[in-house]
Amino acid sequence: MNAIDRRWWLGGVGLIVLAAGLYLGAPIYVLYVANLLMTYAVLAIGLDILLGRAGQFAFAHIAFYGIGIYTTALITNNTGLPVFVGIAAGGLLAGLVGVIIAIPATRLRDVYLALSTFAFAEAAQWVFNNWDSVTKGPNGLRISPAKLFGHTITDDRQAFFLVLSITLAVIAATVLMNRSKLGRAMSAIGQSEHVAMASGIGVQRVKVTAFAISAVYAGIAGGMFTLYQSFIHPDSLGFDLIVLILTMVVVGGLGTLPGVILGVLLLGLMPEVLRNLREWQELIYGLILILAILFMPRGIWGLITERRQAWQARRVAARPSPVQDET
Amino acid sequence: MSEPLFNFDQVEVRFGGLRALRGFSMEVEQGTIHALIGPNGAGKSTAFNCASRFYRPTSGDVKFQGRSLRRVKPAAIAKLGIARTFQNVELFGRMSVLENVLVGMSPRIGGYLPFVPGARRMRIEREARRDAEALLDEFGLTDFRDTAAEELDFGRQKMLDVARALACKPKLLLLDEPAAGLRNREIAALDALLVDLARNRGMTIVLVEHVMQLVMSIADRITVLNFGAKIAEGTADEIKVHPEVIAAYLGTGHA
Repeated sequence: MNAIDRRWWLGGVGLIVLAAGLYLGAPIYVLYVANLLMTYAVLAIGLDILLGRAGQFAFAHIAFYGIGIYTTALITNNTGLPVFVGIAAGGLLAGLVGVIIAIPATRLRDVYLALSTFAFAEAAQWVFNNWDSVTKGPNGLRISPAKLFGHTITDDRQAFFLVLSITLAVIAATVLMNRSKLGRAMSAIGQSEHVAMASGIGVQRVKVTAFAISAVYAGIAGGMFTLYQSFIHPDSLGFDLIVLILTMVVVGGLGTLPGVILGVLLLGLMPEVLRNLREWQELIYGLILILAILFMPRGIWGLITERRQAWQARRVAARPSPVQDET
Repeated sequence: MSEPLFNFDQVEVRFGGLRALRGFSMEVEQGTIHALIGPNGAGKSTAFNCASRFYRPTSGDVKFQGRSLRRVKPAAIAKLGIARTFQNVELFGRMSVLENVLVGMSPRIGGYLPFVPGARRMRIEREARRDAEALLDEFGLTDFRDTAAEELDFGRQKMLDVARALACKPKLLLLDEPAAGLRNREIAALDALLVDLARNRGMTIVLVEHVMQLVMSIADRITVLNFGAKIAEGTADEIKVHPEVIAAYLGTGHA
């Protein structure tokens, strides 16, 4: 077992202990915050796949989150199906729309990609606001309690384990993906498209796949939202949410799973700490985002790995260059 | 004469009014080291970019094993058996040394999905990792397996670039200035490595290079480009005394 595996194991055990403690002992409000943070985590991990790994500056994420919320909510409200069906449907529909958006969008670059995906997110919010017969438009949509094998999930404590299981499954899938050909291909494209191409990677296909997976994650996060929230309004699917998720990813460390989770925890808990400064919240997030980009472009996790690599480099620096021996 | 493994056939590349390649033809025999030299802007990298299908020739054709590359997608070039390195070292800087080589192996590892691996995929992945580690060993990079590529010194980055290209087990290796910026010791090691690849393992190598020390010592054949056109072709001894080559490199006053 190498060091990386051991770290994941330790993290896993720590998490299980923490989760059990929260479930048994924490007040309901703490569990609500935990559920919210885990939803943000799935959103942020999904955004990071596209932004941090594949290097595609696309901002349609909140639209896919909305698709997930409304799809799951409508299935829960109108059928007796177990909530997992609704969550899966939300994820799949988001992924499908993601592919349709990605095919033209991934031909664009940089600011054009950012603008066009941002425009899509705006358009999606407009649809949520105006498709009255389905979304109830600006009145907002009541979400019935989720059902699962005859049980009804009525509070945050009951939702907690479901939200946690989905979060862990998403993290596990992400770890597997990062280590697979697909994960490597996405990272490669994010760092040099033409070297990736010359190495036999179908750049366009991998970009569309990254886009789709990112959208599925956002759709699933939307489904998670319906497990502990009873109401959705289109106003909550706007610009400030994408700024929040973006800040989490950038501050934690683009392209690094532990960094992103760290970013979600730090920025997600900030409103709890800075409760008295609520009206300043947007400004504070904006400032943090700018400062992070200026002073730690690779995030907190980037700083941590830099330290570690400097230490490793000192260890091997004394060794001779491999080619010196052959002369 | 047997059919060449790789050839340019009357390749013309125009960018607006600029003719980067002018009816360029070159034949590369299986198992040889073929150098492509010429002053800056002569069209050497353009020729490589046609072989990688980053460019499609305005007219003429690049053929590999007699097959036209005109309609081959850039990502399918590696699968056909053509690998390349890039001028100024381009690596996946934030990925580990091992991951860089694994990316080079992409054509061997099947499709992109599923990423939750089944037994077969896991076996392929395991084999790929084993082969990648063997390759790192050969290039003296084992100690740096988990180091980010951008943390390596320049000489090792160059070596990793070649290792990444070799990872897909190509039949043809295109090297764009592999010796640029290397110290003499490192050039000697590169020399030995390329000769071993060609002589003992049947690899066909085309290299663009300005370091004449390397070109003259290992190239079986040398093609000289100037302003997009071929001005000379032959062995090292023939090229060294070719009047047009001397003129191109030193200016016409010396011819």
